[in-house]
Amino acid sequence: MSTLTLTHAQILDPSQQLKQFSDVVIVDGLITAITAAGQAADSANVFNANQALLLPGLIDLSAHVNNVASETLAAAQGGVSLLCTQPNSKPIVDTPADVSLLQLASVKANNSQLLPMGALTQGLEGDQLANMYSLKQAGCIALSNARAPIKNALVLRRIMEYATTHDMLIMLTAEDFDLSANGKMHEGPTANRLGLTGIAEIAETTSLAQQLLLVELTGCRVHFSQLSCGRSVDMIRQAQAQGLPVTADVAIANLMFTDLDVNGFDSTFNVQPPLRSEQDRQALLAGINDGTLAICSNHKAQDIAAKKAPFAAAEAGMSILDTWLSMMLTLVNKGELTLDATVNASSIMPAKILGLKAGLQLKQLANLVVVNQNAEVCYSADSLASAGKNSPVLGEPLVGEVQLTFSAGREVYRA
Amino acid sequence: MTRHSDPTQVQLTADGRLKHFLTTEGLSKALLTEILDLADSFISTQERAVKKVPLLRGKTVVNLFFENSTRTRSTFELAAKRLSADILNLDIASSATSKGETLMDTLWNLEAMYSDMFVVRHADSGAAHFIAEQVTPGVAIINAGDGRHAHPTQAMLDMLTIRRHKGTIEGQTVAIVGDILHSRVARSQIHALITLGAKEIRVIGPATLVPKEMADLGAKIYFDIEQGLADVDVVIMLRLQKERMSDALLPSEGEYFKLYGLTEAKLALAKPDAIVMHPGPINRGVEIDSAVADGEQSVILNQVSYGIAVRMAVMAMAMSGQASEQSAVDKTLPNPTSGENA
Repeated sequence: MSTLTLTHAQILDPSQQLKQFSDVVIVDGLITAITAAGQAADSANVFNANQALLLPGLIDLSAHVNNVASETLAAAQGGVSLLCTQPNSKPIVDTPADVSLLQLASVKANNSQLLPMGALTQGLEGDQLANMYSLKQAGCIALSNARAPIKNALVLRRIMEYATTHDMLIMLTAEDFDLSANGKMHEGPTANRLGLTGIAEIAETTSLAQQLLLVELTGCRVHFSQLSCGRSVDMIRQAQAQGLPVTADVAIANLMFTDLDVNGFDSTFNVQPPLRSEQDRQALLAGINDGTLAICSNHKAQDIAAKKAPFAAAEAGMSILDTWLSMMLTLVNKGELTLDATVNASSIMPAKILGLKAGLQLKQLANLVVVNQNAEVCYSADSLASAGKNSPVLGEPLVGEVQLTFSAGREVYRA
Repeated sequence: MTRHSDPTQVQLTADGRLKHFLTTEGLSKALLTEILDLADSFISTQERAVKKVPLLRGKTVVNLFFENSTRTRSTFELAAKRLSADILNLDIASSATSKGETLMDTLWNLEAMYSDMFVVRHADSGAAHFIAEQVTPGVAIINAGDGRHAHPTQAMLDMLTIRRHKGTIEGQTVAIVGDILHSRVARSQIHALITLGAKEIRVIGPATLVPKEMADLGAKIYFDIEQGLADVDVVIMLRLQKERMSDALLPSEGEYFKLYGLTEAKLALAKPDAIVMHPGPINRGVEIDSAVADGEQSVILNQVSYGIAVRMAVMAMAMSGQASEQSAVDKTLPNPTSGENA
């Protein structure tokens, strides 16, 4: 029997209004006691948190992972306990065998646990349904088409009907590919000045509107992944008020950056969905603070050559996992997000969306992170465990230093 | 929240001299005027029997054209030769990239040949800027057109044309007509015109070709050409590409000409002494009527000859800026152009 006692931790778990200095006892991976500070029974194995924050571990609703070993290590270092991976890895995850391969790789890596998502359509081609039920049986946490287009509204309707039949969670993105055709960044003054083709807000909102109507028709449980427009947040609020079974998230990049960051043609800021206006960013922040949206990393490691090209020719995506929690805590530090809302959006809501136990609960496998909330950190390419050094915050002053991460009862990182 | 180096400042040395020429945006009035003055002085050398000046003697200039362009490439070639440089023309559109070589690979190969200046045309906005950030210090980049972003030498030869024909740019009302959306020329012209003190810049065309964000750059938007041309001093017509019809941006060339083609009747709405410009090559009967293109108010052919002088000016200035920066970095290196300037 192995016991670890975390002492003098400032616990915060908005799912049970837990906010106090506490000790937490973990026996064989299970949380067995949460007591007032100094009250835990003596144990040989103690981790003194020294007043640092102890949070439910982050749960990432969207990460793009090719190299399981390095990226799950990046997650562990970044305080991410569980990460849902998009099916557009190599190979594409559209058969049970692909799912097993990922699960094995995750076990072998022994870092933060990976929860594979399967493809909605075969080869992500948007045409024929993948063996959705078999993928669920194989252990897929959800099904997604990873921003690849779904051929038309009829296929989308069939996907929703089939998912409803078998009570599956599907994650969809909102993008009308005709309207966004060849766009490289948010349509607005910056795109016009730089001469880059813009992706209009309506490319997202018309698609979202269509999908919400299909949800209304089919009753399908849908999670909308990576919304980028302020208008979309209003549409989700309305849909939820109307009682539709929908949830949504935003990528951290869209909470932190805007189209102005593309100013220097810096390909680091080439992301999908695009970074939008400051108005959109403010609306998305408000969507986190009022509990409408969850936050995902939308992590995508790219090698140097993929980003070393003129903006439009560079591959999209940012390497986020190592720095995700620090990015969020920096927004908290700046007063743009509340701490409670941040923990809710990056751990509690994702758990509920995925149908997992939310928060720090007794007799559950420990998923938690200890983080020095106010410690200043500055990341360099070498400090990232991710194979992708395409981080937007290298050299930037951030706050929030991860001390300890538990994933599914295993200690996966200690500073 | 991350802040980058100001893209418009990448082209300047620490003491504010030109070392690359990537965009007209962000350059001071003094610097733009310096380009025009130097170009003016080269126009007189162009009229002499011996046209060469030795400012770039011993330097190697590479014309790196990822997009085809006979005219712009030729004027850069002539400009380099008249500055006494050695010039290599590389038509990358049909060679390296079709073999799967990346832009970086191409660059590294060319750098290994000890080139001193790249004249770059590329279909991607920001390509020249990207290359300027990647090349070895000491190598100058001249943007010969990147995507829809900038075509600064074309804009400066247009400024020179206006200045030579109207006396000054200050106080002029300038109309730019046509496919503003896709036009790197228009964007570069607008920045230069504003800095050089134009009174008003109007962009004229249908909403499919005139983004409303042009107002953020300082231009006034007109959908009606007759209102837009009223009392202007300068009319700049832009070329209409055939593919705009298949992109559903326009119904037909015929309807476009009817609405926005420059005819003598429409030109009569401008000031009587207004000049007509076009970056070429022109589509007669599509954006401009032959009678106007060949008419008295047209300065289209003058633009072509000023183009060589302007390109000589920016090449000479950028090379000298690079030399001064290099000698500031390493005092032991001789300044390659100082002897020749003396």
